[in-house]
Amino acid sequence: MARVRLDAMLREFASRSSVDSTAGTVAALFDELETQFPRLRFKLRDETGALRKYVRVFVDGEDISRTPGLGASLAHAREVDILHSIAGG
Amino acid sequence: MPEKKVRVLVGTRKGTYIVESDTRRKSWKVHPVSNAGREVYHVSADPRHPGTVYAAVNSGFWGPIMYRSSNWGKSWAEIATPLTPVQKERKPAFDPENPTTPPARPVVNLWHVAPGHPSEPDTVFVGVDPHMLFRSDDRGASWAPVPGINDHPTKDKWGPGAGGACLHTILIDPRDRKRMHVGLSAAGTFRTDDGGEHWRPTNQKVEAPFNPDPYPEVGQCVHHVVLDAANPDIAYRQDHGGMYVHRNAMDGPWERIGKLKGGPKDDFGFAVTTSASLAGKAFFVPLVGEARTTPNGGFQVLQWTEKTRSWKVLMSPKAFPGDFGVQREGITSDPLEPGGIYVGTTTGQLILSPDAGKTWRQVPYQFPGIHSVEAAV
Repeated sequence: MARVRLDAMLREFASRSSVDSTAGTVAALFDELETQFPRLRFKLRDETGALRKYVRVFVDGEDISRTPGLGASLAHAREVDILHSIAGG
Repeated sequence: MPEKKVRVLVGTRKGTYIVESDTRRKSWKVHPVSNAGREVYHVSADPRHPGTVYAAVNSGFWGPIMYRSSNWGKSWAEIATPLTPVQKERKPAFDPENPTTPPARPVVNLWHVAPGHPSEPDTVFVGVDPHMLFRSDDRGASWAPVPGINDHPTKDKWGPGAGGACLHTILIDPRDRKRMHVGLSAAGTFRTDDGGEHWRPTNQKVEAPFNPDPYPEVGQCVHHVVLDAANPDIAYRQDHGGMYVHRNAMDGPWERIGKLKGGPKDDFGFAVTTSASLAGKAFFVPLVGEARTTPNGGFQVLQWTEKTRSWKVLMSPKAFPGDFGVQREGITSDPLEPGGIYVGTTTGQLILSPDAGKTWRQVPYQFPGIHSVEAAV
């Protein structure tokens, strides 16, 4: 089971800052989160399933956002962090 | 009887502003920003449901999000957002088994919200990038794409436009709910007479100077179009290729009024408006040069009068010195008598006339760059 931490920016759409998950992949984790927090749907991924540009996903400290991406396995993961890269102006 | 309020709904680079006055339109109250920090491309009131306002919000982090208020913007609720049909299998954008299939494209930005015909009080339309029209029949609780225009047979001849491949203009004929016109960047205008099932291009004699054929059937970069309130068969068009008028519901050739005597030196621009109390007139903001700013070192609005086929410059460049940009939805007007005209600039000025263009003043508030203005009474 992995502890999933959601960054402060996600508080607008998800009422908790962390959840536990047994999802097998990052994509399956996102499906779970969107079921639990319906307002998260299409906020982390667009409607084609692609990760939105500024979303970063770390599994046990490793950034998997681009490689291997949403198919990354969570079979042995202990911690997953969903963050947003600093951007704006 | 309570006095009527006039509200200017301002979409900016950093949020939504509601700017309020009475019918004298002399002093203005700027309400605190909503949707703070997000690009708001368009804010549109629904006259069929007083107090209802839609905001087309585009977040760099979250993507496009539709909001609706029922109390003139005091509070907002997220409603359904038009999205391209979701692929249940979540196939990747590039399908290696079908490499020539165009990649799936999500909705990039929400561009324009248009309440439907009065006879369909729960119908709302949204235009988006990429070049799609969506329709809701439940006031935004759900959306359906309009394939007649979204999958038009001429689509492979449409371009993207510098601001994106957007469907930015949606006009419903007040006399006939089945007749609509839409405007798409680098594609042109299209008309339907059957409620959106079939559409035909309506770009005759509109110049596309960037095209090998300067007068193609489609591909013109229309910037904005409005219908005359007294006679909806008359349309005023600001195109990349000039300023135009049409007098037959866009059926047949357009007339390029921007090149007529008294017109601007350069009839490029983005924005045009008219309204019920300004019928027979259209107001354009000419822009020049690579910077796409107002000419002669000052803010400028031009008035076209149909009856006399004449142009009039509405202020000296000394009235508001500077180099101003105005985007395609950056000018609007109200139906009061005399008509109010409102212009929002890309540098955050809201400049208005309460008397059909005779006098002008600036609202004393520095907004973020303004994408759009709409007036609601």
